[in-house]
Amino acid sequence: MIEIKGLAKAFAISKGNKLSDTEKQDVRYSEKAFHSVRDVSFQCGAGEVLGLLGPNGAGKTTTLRMLSTALKQDSGSVFINGIDVLQKPIQARKEIGFLSADTGLYGKLTAFENIAYFARLHGMKEADIKARIDDLFSLLDMHDFANRRVDTMSTGMKQKTAIARAVVHSPKVVILDEPTTGLDIMTVQTVLDFIKSLKASGTPVIFSTHHLDEVGALCDRVVVIDKGVSSFSGSLDQFKQLTDGGDLRQAFLAVIANQPQQGAA
Amino acid sequence: MWQVYFKELTELLRDKKTLIFVILLPILIFPVLFGIVGLVMATTTSKAMEEQHRYVIVNEQQAPEFAEALFYHKNFKKVETTLSSEQELVAAIRNDEFDVALVIPADFASRKAAVQQTEWQLIYNRSSQLDFMYNYFDEMLKEYAEKLQRGTLSQLGVDPANLTAILKPVELTRVNTAEQRENIGESMGAILAYALVLLCLSGAMYPAVDMGAGEKERGTLETLLICPVSRTAIVLGKFLTVLTTALMTALITVVSLGVWGAIISAFADLSKVSEALASITIVDLVLMFSLLLPTAAIFAALLLAISIYARTFKEAQNYMSPLTILVIVPLMIAMAPGMELDVTTALIPLTNIALAIKELLKGTADYGLLALIFASTTALAGALIAFCVHWFQQEKVLFR
Repeated sequence: MIEIKGLAKAFAISKGNKLSDTEKQDVRYSEKAFHSVRDVSFQCGAGEVLGLLGPNGAGKTTTLRMLSTALKQDSGSVFINGIDVLQKPIQARKEIGFLSADTGLYGKLTAFENIAYFARLHGMKEADIKARIDDLFSLLDMHDFANRRVDTMSTGMKQKTAIARAVVHSPKVVILDEPTTGLDIMTVQTVLDFIKSLKASGTPVIFSTHHLDEVGALCDRVVVIDKGVSSFSGSLDQFKQLTDGGDLRQAFLAVIANQPQQGAA
Repeated sequence: MWQVYFKELTELLRDKKTLIFVILLPILIFPVLFGIVGLVMATTTSKAMEEQHRYVIVNEQQAPEFAEALFYHKNFKKVETTLSSEQELVAAIRNDEFDVALVIPADFASRKAAVQQTEWQLIYNRSSQLDFMYNYFDEMLKEYAEKLQRGTLSQLGVDPANLTAILKPVELTRVNTAEQRENIGESMGAILAYALVLLCLSGAMYPAVDMGAGEKERGTLETLLICPVSRTAIVLGKFLTVLTTALMTALITVVSLGVWGAIISAFADLSKVSEALASITIVDLVLMFSLLLPTAAIFAALLLAISIYARTFKEAQNYMSPLTILVIVPLMIAMAPGMELDVTTALIPLTNIALAIKELLKGTADYGLLALIFASTTALAGALIAFCVHWFQQEKVLFR
């Protein structure tokens, strides 16, 4: 279970950096800070897949970074299975599997070495690591390039390795930042199937994306972030109902164009 | 921390650039330096020694003995000329008609007979670094002058047995109290310290850039930060890796220097150098390494802090370039003539290390001062490591 309430994060603006006219009009800019996330709230329960939508620069990645404990929020709260990420970040990290927009892999290590390294950092025992990695290689069809160095892999191979790395410690919640961006159709399908398998196992999954077809196919819940605020948070059906025809693209555009809307939780 | 350390080390050992900077460069730098310098020196010296200089001599009838000695010298070849004025001779040398002109005054014979001093003029281009030609003239002239002195004094009725004492009443001989090791340590110590400290820096530089800015650029840092490991453990793992590569570079350099020094000594019959090097004990080497350890730690912490701050590999390299100059200056100070290790210089970072290494090589180190240097350098290294750890906790640094 992931619970986020009133999340906010600002970054200081360097002295001497003058705001452009466009930035002066933007509510996220003050004299000294850029308020990347101003007020984001949502929750994602067991077996739910939550799609995080929003234009580029809306605050999605910053939100996910706070969820994953990479960044500390200025205000608001994040609970991962009841653990406050601000108070107990190390404990919270054990619960989280995070895949960043970059694959986050070490080029000079093999797929196996990359995954094993992160397994060790998560405190897994050597005896369990190999068995777990074998399972993941089978699940993601990775045996052919298990011992290949990452810097010689294709984008698809890298993404599969990154996913295996993110979930090697069997996390209780999974956060994926644009996991299908730049992938070929076959690899996208592998990623989507993997998300479905996580859902089936009762793992809450949050993933940010620009692909509304993926949202329609996978998500139970939708959150739209715009200018650092969760403008919409509700079920997929509630999101579809924002427009008469149930078109996701139109619904998204309607949320962005209108004032914040809240669907029934 | 050790997981991070071993993983970083594995990656570095698979990296060609690291292998070049940490292993290949220290192994090859001394033989290449010795080889190039030796070859250039040998070639130019041999060429200069074999060179035959074309000369003209003005008023040679005034000093026929000298003119004859010059004529039969293997490095000189006479050129006939009618020129006699200084301007004409200078112009002719510039036109490459000959290399050198010796002008003996037209009244030399009569002045010699009257026991009066005269001035001879040697006109040539002095721009050459190896001025063997002047040395040849100087030697011949000394010999000639001594003959003249003896002839004149004999004419004045001085007993030939007393001539040497009259010509040079006092002979100063030098008795050197310095041992061979002290001499070699004095001349080599500062250069070795310079090379060791700079190699420590260069050995630390690339891995530091790769582990901070490189990780940011490749997007791996964020993944690492969300692992259930404290940031202190992560940064210390990285720090230890950079420290290891810096020390490895220095260690390989010392071993390489020892091996190549022994090979060169054997071939060049430099027995005194071999004996001097052999008198350096294991304790001296351990002390040298002990001083390099906190020095390398200073570099590792500083470079890692810079690298963590930089957004990209290139930005980190740009920040690090001025650091090399900042390191070279105190090392150059240590190489300055007359610079000695005392309580004041023992507290100047890097200068103290260079002076201490020199003293250790000379075998004249003051252990109290070495302890002071070790303590002050370790304290500085500790402060910089603490800063590096603090730096790595800062979001504004990690997510610039």
